[in-house]
Amino acid sequence: MSRRCFWVLCLLLAPFACLPAARVADSLVRIQATSQDPNYRVPWAGGNVISGVGAGFIIDSNRIMTNAHVVSNSRFLLVSKEGDPKPYLARVLFIAHDCDLALLTVDDPNFFKGTTALPFGGIPAIESTVSVYGYPIGGDRLSVTRGIVSRIDFQPYTHSGVDSHLTIQIDAAINPGNSGGPVLQDGKVVGVAFQGYSGDVAQNVGYMIPTPVVRRFLKDIEDGRYDKYVDLSLSYHSLHNPAMRRALGLSDEDTGVVVGDVFGGGNSDGVLKTGDVLLAIDGLPIASDGTVKMDSGDPVEMAEVVERKFRGEKVKFHILRDGKEEDVILPLTHSWPFTLQAYAYDEKPRFVVFGGLVFQPVDANFMREHDPADLRLRYYFDHFISDHLYRDRQEIITLSTILADPVNAYAGDFRYSIVDTINGQKIRKLDDLAEALKKPADYYVIEMVGQGRPLVLEKQAVDQARERIRARYGVVNEQQL
Amino acid sequence: MNSSFSPMRRFSLTITALVALVPALHAAATRPNQPAATPKPAASEVTAASLVRVNSTNQSYDFFRPWTKKAPSFRKGLGVVVEKNRILVTAELVTNSTYIELEDPVTNARVAGQVITVDYDSNLALLAPSDENFLKDAKPLALDKDAVVGDHIELLQLETNGLVAQTPGTITTIAVAPYPLGQLALLTFRISSPIQSRDSSFTIPAVRNGDLVGLLMRYDSRSQSADIIPAPIIAHFLADATQATYQGFPRVGLGYSPTRDPQLRRYVGLKDDGGVYITAIRPGGAAAKAGLKRGDVILAVAGKQINQDGEFDHPLYGKLTFSHLTSTDAKVGDKVDFVVLRDGQKQTIPVTLEAVDRSSIASDPYIFDKQPRYLVVGGLVFQELSRPYLQEWGSSWSKEAPQRLVALDAFQDEDTTPNRGKIVFLSQVFPTASALGYQDLEHLVVSKVNDVPIKSLDDLAKAIANPKNGFHKIEFDDDPPIIYLDAVESEKSDAQIRQEYGIPELKNLN
Repeated sequence: MSRRCFWVLCLLLAPFACLPAARVADSLVRIQATSQDPNYRVPWAGGNVISGVGAGFIIDSNRIMTNAHVVSNSRFLLVSKEGDPKPYLARVLFIAHDCDLALLTVDDPNFFKGTTALPFGGIPAIESTVSVYGYPIGGDRLSVTRGIVSRIDFQPYTHSGVDSHLTIQIDAAINPGNSGGPVLQDGKVVGVAFQGYSGDVAQNVGYMIPTPVVRRFLKDIEDGRYDKYVDLSLSYHSLHNPAMRRALGLSDEDTGVVVGDVFGGGNSDGVLKTGDVLLAIDGLPIASDGTVKMDSGDPVEMAEVVERKFRGEKVKFHILRDGKEEDVILPLTHSWPFTLQAYAYDEKPRFVVFGGLVFQPVDANFMREHDPADLRLRYYFDHFISDHLYRDRQEIITLSTILADPVNAYAGDFRYSIVDTINGQKIRKLDDLAEALKKPADYYVIEMVGQGRPLVLEKQAVDQARERIRARYGVVNEQQL
Repeated sequence: MNSSFSPMRRFSLTITALVALVPALHAAATRPNQPAATPKPAASEVTAASLVRVNSTNQSYDFFRPWTKKAPSFRKGLGVVVEKNRILVTAELVTNSTYIELEDPVTNARVAGQVITVDYDSNLALLAPSDENFLKDAKPLALDKDAVVGDHIELLQLETNGLVAQTPGTITTIAVAPYPLGQLALLTFRISSPIQSRDSSFTIPAVRNGDLVGLLMRYDSRSQSADIIPAPIIAHFLADATQATYQGFPRVGLGYSPTRDPQLRRYVGLKDDGGVYITAIRPGGAAAKAGLKRGDVILAVAGKQINQDGEFDHPLYGKLTFSHLTSTDAKVGDKVDFVVLRDGQKQTIPVTLEAVDRSSIASDPYIFDKQPRYLVVGGLVFQELSRPYLQEWGSSWSKEAPQRLVALDAFQDEDTTPNRGKIVFLSQVFPTASALGYQDLEHLVVSKVNDVPIKSLDDLAKAIANPKNGFHKIEFDDDPPIIYLDAVESEKSDAQIRQEYGIPELKNLN
């Protein structure tokens, strides 16, 4: 959006630096990933083993860049070069699920012989032509498609489901197998192909991750660790209404947005307050629609200022609070504090089995797999953040599955209920539940959120049922915390 | 039984009309599946003199645009003449009626009708003709309250020529089941009958030996089963209708769970059979006032033992849900003893039965025959949350409607704040000069206006009369938390909305 200066440079230098397709082939990698998705219905068992093909490309320091979703939950990774039949064993160096990027390497030094590391470019101009390289729909040979740059803006990244970053839309279709492949213009990588658009309303729409996002990822991992994006963890509202502006004591210069909600545990918690008017961020005036003019002068969402920062950095706000202007410094120490609405990868599902009752924390993976119709559970999941339900509990713990046995013969009505207390002890996270069920008691009285009877389990009956249930249902592990 | 008894297609088989002249032949022709053992109808036949065709034009309000009504629909049913020149029909037939036409089935004389008493809980309504003479030759039906499972009844329909067509049915099940309009579960007879679609099918009387056994309210043609509102419910309704103020069916205001689980039974100290666990007490209801509490185990009600599924032994019907004792066998104001087990001790707690105080309901489960309340201020449309508003999202409204509002409605009884009032929310915004920048706001629950807490639209109307420093300050229980309107500009916008958006009235607070 705001980096037109980069592409001006590129265009000037590029015509003579054009890489022929033969050279691109020296950089392109076909990735065959065998992965095992976690099983949120039978959480003690591994999930389906599936294999898929994606693309990647070689960058400096013997590294291969691809999408996080190509190598998520991977158990076994093979990479091969164009024109070389030999597959090589690869491993993941870094993976960033919030921006769908990953870096791999191959330990066999022969792999990188004769390859070319691709350089990165800037943001391509709207209407300029780019080439997409990859292995769409699973073929073994390189495929090239061309498209023009249609739009540059913030878009959701579907891999995590909750993150939005700068994205470039092109009119070349991006299909499975294109993922992770380089998008080139004038011999330089201007993006990483990552998602398409499926739907009835649009065709020939593909999206790529632009180089500012890629460069940020590469910089973040320089210290050997990926720290994720940092963010403000607040909501703000445009200030277009003249009465609203006057009531807040604003002059009519069309600047400022008002803070709506400050999410507990986020970076703004304790620094900014509901009702503060944000006038400037790092010295850049904030327009009444929440945009700032960065770099080239094109308006860009205020969030982009923070997007470019790393954990441990600070952001400075000029604000109007209670009618007085002041400066506040906001240290960016966390990423977004609520992970339950993001799809998780490379993590084992957590659960506790007790008396044949399977308790699980509710998150995006759980909801995708179980798709429960329960009104309360859906409400708690969807509104956990917006309705501040997190103040009462860190996680939503639900009774997800009943492994039928005489001990739980009457527990059917409690499926997808949310556990509130056990023997009077508040259950705020799965660890609390595991702990409460370890305490000696004659009865375990489980109260659910809302109106219902308690679910009562007799310790003796649970103990007697334990081996029976383990054996019958093949419960190899009774908890994963 | 999924499909309700819908307004049916006009039945125009000429063969039926021809054979109808000879009732015996007609029966043979139209009841091929009738078991041979069905006894012949008894001597005292019901004639058209006890029946009135009721043709109702109904028009409900559009809750998304509460200033307008939806397109009219038409329902036809067969009313039963009862004492005092009244006609008994199902409430469903005349709900949201704009015009009711009463038609003499023999002479086809027509007069206007008027709803005298309606009870949505029991799905019953009493109509009166505009002309006293309309029913002068009518024969009122008496109630037969003795029907039990296995008894045979006749369902009455009218041929186009005014002759009564009877279809036999057998009572197969008697239970307390949910009624279609209100929220109560009441005594219901399920019958098995090969009844056919006909004109005037929205209310169908069921009779035995010339007396009324009930009114049909639901029919499933595939299983050939129907639910009828039985005479005991009708008797309760008719008795209440004679009172100066209609009180209706009382309710206790509690939720319970069976105690089949032996682990639960041992935990609460239940040694004998029976008993149900109280899971919820409706705030401000009769049970709450009497001091019943969540966790109490109900052992007996009105002297009847309650089993672990919440049933008592009814002398006529066998096992029946105990709410029958407090809803149908009792009336508002009666005192009913509840024997409960609390902390291991038996206690007798008298409960004085009440009608539901509708004003204490945060989100109304139904609104019939009434325009929804709303208030437009500077382009902002405010409404009170109700189930019918949410139901405007269609059959899967509980998934489609705004989840926060759905949750507020569904879990309203869990909010025990005293005098919590109605849930007032901003439903939509008309783009106007005064609402500039607010046009995308919707479904936000209002907490305060001009610093006054809002518990109803009346509160809001009062608060709007007192702007602060020329502004209306509107606070939400939501994000954004506060918006401001210019008080003068918003009045100008209101005039504009009336004209440009064609809204006749900017409020309805009735």
